[in-house]
Amino acid sequence: MNSAPAESTPPADVHAQNEADAALLREIASGDRDALARLYDRFSRPLFGVASRILRDATEAEDVVHDVFITIWQKAAAFEPARCSALGWAIALTRNRAIDRFRTRRRRHEILETSAPDDLGYDETAPSAASSSTDLWQKEKATAVRRAVTELSSEQRNALELAFFSGLTQQEIATRLHEPLGTVKARIRRGLLKLRDLLADRL
Amino acid sequence: MIDEHHEELAALYALDLLEGAELAAFETSLAQNAALRALVDQLRQASTALALEKSAPPPSPALRVRVLASIDSLPRAAATPAPVGVSQQPLAPVVSFNAALWTGWAAAACFALATAYFGSHYFTARTEATLLRNDAEFARTESQSLQQRIEAERILNSNYIAQLQKSGDLANLKIAKLADLLGNSPQAVAIAVWNPLSQEGVLTVEKLPLLQSDQDYQLWVIDPAYKDPVSGGVFTVDEKGVARVSFRPSQSIKTAATFAISRERKGGSSSTPQGPVIAAGTL
Repeated sequence: MNSAPAESTPPADVHAQNEADAALLREIASGDRDALARLYDRFSRPLFGVASRILRDATEAEDVVHDVFITIWQKAAAFEPARCSALGWAIALTRNRAIDRFRTRRRRHEILETSAPDDLGYDETAPSAASSSTDLWQKEKATAVRRAVTELSSEQRNALELAFFSGLTQQEIATRLHEPLGTVKARIRRGLLKLRDLLADRL
Repeated sequence: MIDEHHEELAALYALDLLEGAELAAFETSLAQNAALRALVDQLRQASTALALEKSAPPPSPALRVRVLASIDSLPRAAATPAPVGVSQQPLAPVVSFNAALWTGWAAAACFALATAYFGSHYFTARTEATLLRNDAEFARTESQSLQQRIEAERILNSNYIAQLQKSGDLANLKIAKLADLLGNSPQAVAIAVWNPLSQEGVLTVEKLPLLQSDQDYQLWVIDPAYKDPVSGGVFTVDEKGVARVSFRPSQSIKTAATFAISRERKGGSSSTPQGPVIAAGTL
């Protein structure tokens, strides 16, 4: 007997959640410290995950997350809810900052020599129990994303993950994947468009 | 309607993978095209989904304390003033004074105050240093991006590109910014614009070193379909190091992956570069 996937997040809830996050940012913009604390409780885990995955160093990842929340505190008024979700904005800030730090830390040739292409993830056995509504919300989002990502071809997935997490250039990604640059660009385009279509109204 | 080429550029832009002249040219298109901007926003949002794919461990509890301590030390741009002089805490019961008992508490309180004072200063200094560093990086990046955009726009607006547009759609043009390889002319700017349909291009260089009278610069197109680079012709620069030349490679180009400039004897090389390759750039 087939049952509907219980973990799926209804789009209406996603929109409500995004609006709640945007409201938190408005409160932060007006100088509400408690709002920042609440946003920290909601976002710190995924942001730390992004920074850890790029930097592979918990201390550096925490420095990045710290700086991102300072930026959020100072720039919350600049957030444009029409363009992306608050979480998407915070993830973009974290990714940019982590990649800047990563690029500063290592010269390009060192990256090529030492980074393992098939090991971009962090410890999958790390604790991830849903201990709160925030954890549950993140778990539900992660489930929806995971399902979408599995619908990409493995080539598209590899190209996108390298593009998002590695801090490499287009050419370096092509070299890493042993594929012509044009092929890699096409995979990134098709993969990202497919991901957008699969996740419409779910982010 | 957004064509595949611009979809590809939008995807690369959303992932911060565009650089140099290609980035500047795309941002020029972006500024003029609302549909393209909307596509970039959608793709950027989709890309952030990758961050949520795997379950992440939480940061240490100390980070929350550190973040909140840092924002407490920063000025609030639009903050509501905190109430001053009104304690929300219930008053502690009054007890009789006992010097021996209170000496230990006083020492502890002094230690706590000192820790808080120096801790606060540490976090303030650290945060301010981080913000200053970020501002400096941001300004430098903006400056570089602006310079590249000005260069690209100037070149894209030039008559030479207009000539190319007569034989093909602007969307088909490929742009490569060539970087100095030898380190002896870091101010040099070289941009190759290539039209794969018409098999012709325009090379614009500035601030390249003047050559001796028995030397020429030679442009090369590196196509993976050929074992050797394909010559794009020779050129010289004026006293300001400037040259603008239209070129048509000596063989049909299937995929122009890289452009390079070498310094050759007068007339150039008929086969492969014989002199040093001074600049190269990838499409």
